[in-house]
Amino acid sequence: MNNNQTKNTKPLKETLFERIESERVCPKSRLIFQSKECFVWFFWFLSVVIGALAVAVSLFVVIHHQFAFYEATHNNFFTFMLDVLPYLWILMFLIMVYVAIYNLKHTAHGYRYPVWVILSSSLVLSFAGGSALQLFGFGYTVDKILGDHMDMYVSQEKLEKKMWQDPDDGRLVGKQVFSTLAPTSTIVFEDVAGRRWRMDVSELPVRDLELLATNKTVKLIGKSVNEKVHIFHACGAFPWMMEKDVTLAQMNEERRVFVQRVSEHAKKAKEQLFMTGERSFDSAVLPRQSVCATIAPVRKMPVGDEFGG
Amino acid sequence: MEQPLHLPPSDEELVKMTLQDKSHFGVLVDRYQAKLARYIARLGVRDPEDQMDVLQDIFLKTYRNLNGFDTSLHFSSWIYRIAHNEAISWYRKKNVRPEGHLIGDSEEIIGFLSAKDESADAQFDKTVNAKEVNEALLKIDEKYREVIILRFFEHKDYDEISDILKIPVGSVGTLLHRGKKQLADALNQEAIRI
Repeated sequence: MNNNQTKNTKPLKETLFERIESERVCPKSRLIFQSKECFVWFFWFLSVVIGALAVAVSLFVVIHHQFAFYEATHNNFFTFMLDVLPYLWILMFLIMVYVAIYNLKHTAHGYRYPVWVILSSSLVLSFAGGSALQLFGFGYTVDKILGDHMDMYVSQEKLEKKMWQDPDDGRLVGKQVFSTLAPTSTIVFEDVAGRRWRMDVSELPVRDLELLATNKTVKLIGKSVNEKVHIFHACGAFPWMMEKDVTLAQMNEERRVFVQRVSEHAKKAKEQLFMTGERSFDSAVLPRQSVCATIAPVRKMPVGDEFGG
Repeated sequence: MEQPLHLPPSDEELVKMTLQDKSHFGVLVDRYQAKLARYIARLGVRDPEDQMDVLQDIFLKTYRNLNGFDTSLHFSSWIYRIAHNEAISWYRKKNVRPEGHLIGDSEEIIGFLSAKDESADAQFDKTVNAKEVNEALLKIDEKYREVIILRFFEHKDYDEISDILKIPVGSVGTLLHRGKKQLADALNQEAIRI
């Protein structure tokens, strides 16, 4: 206790005024209280905005990966999602919800509202804001900007490249850099790691050849025939969909094409097995073996008649 | 000729007047000194000298923070909040628990027991006296004791208790309900022991 405080019988009022005089006690400026209130609301607002961004990026990831070619990279959709979920953003979202609740509780009247009301309002605002931001492509933009400027940050683009740039497992990302004018079954393809591949495109349909001819970045499935001298057998070429303007309908269509392509290869595998058995004794020439009939996605994907025919 | 009726200024008006001229603060001190002394005594500040110290701190803090007074609150709720915080920090600083007679006389006990709307769910097995209620109050959790003191002995309504303790109004009801049950159990145990 302060030494000035009395231990005598002097009236409290008198003692108080003496202390106010001697200690030069003055009412604090109104600005201090208003600043504190503004500060708390500002941090609440900031936490809701960052929470909304976290929701936007998470929504972008989840929506985008709904149409992923997960059969090419993983054994099933569950293991695929475990690998691609944006844990950093989910954690960020949870932290921001906590910060929002803490700040709202510390506003002048925040104590009047039960935690569940504050929690729900923060969640609703973050989800509404996040959905709106995602609608305008902010989820993709934020993820890409961070990925481009921070080496440590694994953006969805980096993750997708990492998953698809795996020649050992029959996947490549890159673009065609050279082809002859005449119809050819071989092109030169440069992957994102800068390696050039002699690419056998004999099993690619016209659509895929046209796509390669645009010289845009594509994803390839196939088989690395000889990795030392960089020879790759292509079995499917798909557009690089990690772009802002790609619509859900386009992603859905590409997913459909992918499933169809793999199904066609699976059908070839069945036909080869059948023809080998039938003609082994009466045919002098064995049918040409399809490399694509043996690629990993063919083995992983349960093929139905709706795609494979 | 009829004289115009001069009502004394409200607490809120006195706050505004104090900010212009500090001498008006004395009126607020006069209005609240006895009430707050009784309240902090119930919260555990029993020694008269300690009470004076805590009261000084309460009024000085009130004076310093006058510009922060939220006019949407009752001044009474605001100063009770300050008193509550100062009393709690006092006995935490002193590392003591509230002890002694939290409530004073039989009149208060009668008031407490006659609050039928509030105590309908608390079944007391016997007529209780001040000593027993005091002992039972000391046994219940602090969070319940605070609400019970404000509701039954300071006669604050739910909104005021909400503003004083900075908890939602719904929580005031819940704490009161649970507190009364705990108090009833403690009182009945007292009865068995006696």
